Amino acid sequence: MSAHATAAPPAGRADAAPRRRRRRHRLLIPLGLAALLLSTTLVTHAVDQPDPDERGFLSPVATGDDGGSRLADALRGRGVTVQRETDPLRALLAVRGGAATLFVPAPALLHPDTVGALGSLPPTTRLVLVDPPRRVLEAVRLPVEPAGRRWAAQAVGPDARDLPCPLPELRQLGRAAVGLQRYAVAPGGSSAVRFCFGDGLALLPRPSDGMVVVGASDPFRNERIDEWDNRAFATALLGGPGRVVWLDLDGPEPPPVFGEGSTGRPAWSPTPGGSTGVGGPGDGDGTGDDGPGGPGGNSDGDSDSEGTGDDSRADRPDPPNPLWSAFPGWLWALLAQLAVAALLAALWRARRLGPPAPEPLPVMVRSAETVLGRARLYEKAGARDAAARTLRAAALDRLKSRLHLPPTAPPADVAAAIAERTGDAPRWADEVLHGAAPETDRELLDLARALDRLTRAVAPHAAAGPYPPAGAPPTAAVPFQGPPPAAAPPAEGPPPPAGPHPHRAEGDPR
Amino acid sequence: MTWRAALLLAVGALTLPAWPAPFAGLLVMTGAVLLLVLLDRVLAAPPGALTATRQGDRAVRLGGTATVALLLHNPSGRTLRAKVRDAWVPSAGARPDVPPSRLVRVEPGAAVALPSRLTPLRRGDRPAVALTVRSFGPLGLGFRQRAGRPATPPWTVRVLPRFDSRRHLPEKLSRLRVIDGTQVSRGRGHGTEFDTLREYVVGDDVRSIDWRASARRADVLVRTWRPERDRRLLCVLDTGRTSAVRVGDEPRLDTAIDAALLLTALAARAGDRVDVLAADTAVRATVTGTGGPALLPRVVHALAPLQPTLAETDFDLIAGELLRRQRQRSLVVLFTALEAGALGEGLLPVLPRLAARHRVVIAATHDPVLTALTTTVPQRPADAYAAAAAWRALAERDRVRTALARHGVTVVDAPAGRLAPTLADTYLRLKSLAQL
Repeated sequence: MSAHATAAPPAGRADAAPRRRRRRHRLLIPLGLAALLLSTTLVTHAVDQPDPDERGFLSPVATGDDGGSRLADALRGRGVTVQRETDPLRALLAVRGGAATLFVPAPALLHPDTVGALGSLPPTTRLVLVDPPRRVLEAVRLPVEPAGRRWAAQAVGPDARDLPCPLPELRQLGRAAVGLQRYAVAPGGSSAVRFCFGDGLALLPRPSDGMVVVGASDPFRNERIDEWDNRAFATALLGGPGRVVWLDLDGPEPPPVFGEGSTGRPAWSPTPGGSTGVGGPGDGDGTGDDGPGGPGGNSDGDSDSEGTGDDSRADRPDPPNPLWSAFPGWLWALLAQLAVAALLAALWRARRLGPPAPEPLPVMVRSAETVLGRARLYEKAGARDAAARTLRAAALDRLKSRLHLPPTAPPADVAAAIAERTGDAPRWADEVLHGAAPETDRELLDLARALDRLTRAVAPHAAAGPYPPAGAPPTAAVPFQGPPPAAAPPAEGPPPPAGPHPHRAEGDPR
Repeated sequence: MTWRAALLLAVGALTLPAWPAPFAGLLVMTGAVLLLVLLDRVLAAPPGALTATRQGDRAVRLGGTATVALLLHNPSGRTLRAKVRDAWVPSAGARPDVPPSRLVRVEPGAAVALPSRLTPLRRGDRPAVALTVRSFGPLGLGFRQRAGRPATPPWTVRVLPRFDSRRHLPEKLSRLRVIDGTQVSRGRGHGTEFDTLREYVVGDDVRSIDWRASARRADVLVRTWRPERDRRLLCVLDTGRTSAVRVGDEPRLDTAIDAALLLTALAARAGDRVDVLAADTAVRATVTGTGGPALLPRVVHALAPLQPTLAETDFDLIAGELLRRQRQRSLVVLFTALEAGALGEGLLPVLPRLAARHRVVIAATHDPVLTALTTTVPQRPADAYAAAAAWRALAERDRVRTALARHGVTVVDAPAGRLAPTLADTYLRLKSLAQL
């Protein structure tokens, strides 16, 4: 039993472990796939969506995917003047010069203090806001509010809700990718707000008859301007009056400075020459508010289309990191020296006292490896008939030698001899020894047990005498030294068979 | 450099607040410590000048403890302060009396002995691998250490087989003496070789009277007999793949070596000549042409380094060697495993040649796992399959045994612990039957 006990459990454990792993896989693989799909989608969407805070987002000079250079070119191709402004105040001043469209592609970048000024534009000006957040809508006191946002922009026609578009230049257009952010009339707002393109575009009559809120930036961006009727939509919306003032902000706008006199910076003062025509950069050598003696005079980068919006930030030198002065200098020196000490300690530990000692390992082959492997093969292949045949043949061999029957004895004689010895019915012994092959593992186990019982029942008498004394015949040089008396303790039941594999030739004295 | 250099620098770092210019202080202190380390390193005793030798045990029985001392001589003019690591292979079970972490001090011109106690875990040759000396300077800040300086003195401890079966030797020797007739009787029946003629004394077996010799003399003479002597015994050990199988807790080869040693001891006492051959795909060990008291130590030393190889044994080679070496008829004991594949394809084709000239005995260890598989009551279906596989293996073994017996080969198949005494009994029986 001991060998069974030691041999069997590893097989069971080896069997159970893969099954548990398989069960875990069954749960993990679909969940992991779903998580992978979800995260891929989210990441792709986040990458795909343009960020209005980015540099060059819908800028007339930016040629990237999110830029607006193609829109600017298209407008100029229609004979529309594109005037790029990087300062909101200058843009407001420029609009007052005559009929114009003020295009604000990133209203979220406007400072809260300057947003309000958009509400008081001259009536000849059309203001186009692209996807303004709720904060801007409230600051300009527009009677609309955001009402639902789609996952991605949808191409919609101008009369998507069976109402003619209020702007005549947009009426004959086809579908444009406007349907990203939808708008609705704010509670308490006037009903004069008119919508078109399926709520993606709101036209507000109140400050002037041309305040337009567009829900998506897609029709204006380089990347998508050629899809659908986007180009026609953008040029028709912006190019009406023949002049576009394009407010191009690089980042969040700094707060407006209200001049106190002491700083010499007049409040809301436009700087001369700060505006640059997009077609001809180069006249923008005007400096910031500090006057012509500033760094703008000698820096070429300033005269570029960079604009002058961040001049005041650029000409101040970077202050040193305040952390350096927060602690005394010796602390930094101390830390550095401790680091050197740690380096020395590492060098000390790095040198080993001689290499590891290698040794070839001896060959190890587990005992009965092939036999156990064959047993597993039998089990895996379900070779019950082969196993049963082997067991029966082995049992028959043992029984015949113990019952002093010749190896050629017919089955009936064997069964009769067994019945005589054990008192069982001969039919039962015959069935066990020559019956049908087992169909299930259970039957095989029962057969193995029955055979075991048979051989054990026949054994005691056989142990009494059939073995000749060792060494008597010369051919018994393989004497049955087998079980030394001390090695076979009497079992509680019938004594086990005298030897694991009694030699049949010797077992038979006849 | 050592931990002291790092500690010195770290302690020096605490004085930095007192320095007028902390970063200059950092540079000065780091430079000073590095300078000290360099100086210390230069002042250390050069390890290349040391000479190392060994002395101690060359052989030890498995389970025993050997002591091998490393003698470190310092011929340089400086005191050696060093950590010494004397590395042996892991299975040598070396425990140095002075652990490598302790500092060894050797005055100029003096020598020190560093003993290691080896308790090997396995049979075979256990070599010393590497000697490493880390020589520290007087301040203990820096050290010198180079691979191969000083050179590792080669030393190998041969771990001899345990020879557990020698406890059976007295009993077998007493049986041998009975057969020899030296102790119990000097009569007829215990030998087959003619010894001498002597005068008849009352009590002698009348059947042993040599009438022809008596006719030539006035006295009645009887013949005396003695057992055969100066027979040849050849132990052949198969070190191929079947010898690697672990039976019990040791490989089959170790059991075979144990049995071969008992047989050799017995045969040497009985006055037979014993040769030993170990082979798998090549001859691994041979002992020839010795007898007497020197035989057993020689065989032990020859068999000790044998290791099983994962190769099929070339019985052709073994048979060729046997036929070439042994012209006279001798008893060939082949230690192998009764495995149908290995013996059926390798041994059986060459067996007729071998059996025609020699008396062949095959000694095999059988596996207790197989016995257990076939005798336990099956509890689960897997047990039934295992029992079927084991019965099939046993049936194959019986087939091999029958095939061998057909060639007149004697097969000794016993469990691991019983192989040596069973084989000795077989030898004694063959000897008493004059079948050598």
